Amino acid sequence: MSILNRFKPLVSPVCKRVLVEQTGVFRRVCSVPKAECHSLCLSRYYRADLASCQVSTYYLDSKRWYSELHSESSNSKKRSGVNEEETTEKESDVSTHLNQRSSETFTLDVLVSLLHQENAVDICVIKVPEQIKYTEYFVVVSGVSPRHLRAMALYAIKVYKFLKTNHDPHVKIEGKDAEDWMCIDFGNMVVHFMLPETRELYELEKLWTLRSFDEQLKSIPAEMLPEDFIYDREVTKD
Amino acid sequence: MTLPQFSRSLTGLLGNASSIIHQRTFSVSAVAAAIQKMTRVRVVDNTSLGNTPYHRPPRVIHVYTKNGVGKVGDRVLLAIKGQKKKALIVGHKMPGERMNPRFDSNNVVLIEDNGNPTGTRIKVPIPTHLRKMEGDYSKVLAIASTFV
Repeated sequence: MSILNRFKPLVSPVCKRVLVEQTGVFRRVCSVPKAECHSLCLSRYYRADLASCQVSTYYLDSKRWYSELHSESSNSKKRSGVNEEETTEKESDVSTHLNQRSSETFTLDVLVSLLHQENAVDICVIKVPEQIKYTEYFVVVSGVSPRHLRAMALYAIKVYKFLKTNHDPHVKIEGKDAEDWMCIDFGNMVVHFMLPETRELYELEKLWTLRSFDEQLKSIPAEMLPEDFIYDREVTKD
Repeated sequence: MTLPQFSRSLTGLLGNASSIIHQRTFSVSAVAAAIQKMTRVRVVDNTSLGNTPYHRPPRVIHVYTKNGVGKVGDRVLLAIKGQKKKALIVGHKMPGERMNPRFDSNNVVLIEDNGNPTGTRIKVPIPTHLRKMEGDYSKVLAIASTFV
């Protein structure tokens, strides 16, 4: 009976997708405990059951689901930082996570899978190299409308609040009153929700993959000191 | 042009240079407080407003804090090129906490009313302790190129 409960929510995110291959994969998995049409109703009840234990199993199974989707999905573009190959890292992560069933943390996989579920447009995950001591993963997501962005951001916060422990800090949405750009900073990940026009304007992916070779940076003219600039010995109180 | 003023700093190198030191025509006081009203600031992003030359440097006309002193992470109102613009302080000359960077100029990033940065890139190093502070700084950190 418990096995049945575990595999029920697994099918729920899949039923939202149009991809037939994945459903085939999971139907095969679900045929083991013989879960039937219950799965179709569950996709709608996901939000309501957020507080229930089904979410935790969803997270675990969605990681496996995500890594299989990743190879087929053209939406999520992944670029590497400095000689870092994220895909190989992911696949090894999945196997270790399946063993650590009790550690339900809000990792990158959870975030990307929930963004997929929210029909996010153009998910871009960039692995930030270690030298830049800002964050590990930089995620840029587009949305259809400001309301869509807000819904995605709030949903991400909701899932994070559910999955976090008492030791994890609270996370807030930055830029709540700006309707075209919102950010959330989860310690090891930073997510930016932008509208496509804003995304074109700022080109954050270019900056964070190219770093110092970025075009916009190069086009900033070098600073010229004015003619009457005075060099002075710095007198500071210490 | 700048040679007379340069000689003032090269005093140690030149032997009997005291005779050729020229006096300034105005006084320059050492920087004491952090950013407050009427301080001249340096805009460090790639906006046209901040980079086109104007006969007056951008000045702070209001600091949005309880006391009128602005530190890193505070919002201020600038007067640039005859218009008012909000900005975020990203570095000041006043020494702050011990292990936090101190900058040689009062750096400021232009910001819209909704918090979005006006520029798209920042060349100047941005302090990383902005991340821990309370406020909406992720956007400014996202367009920064180097961190200190």
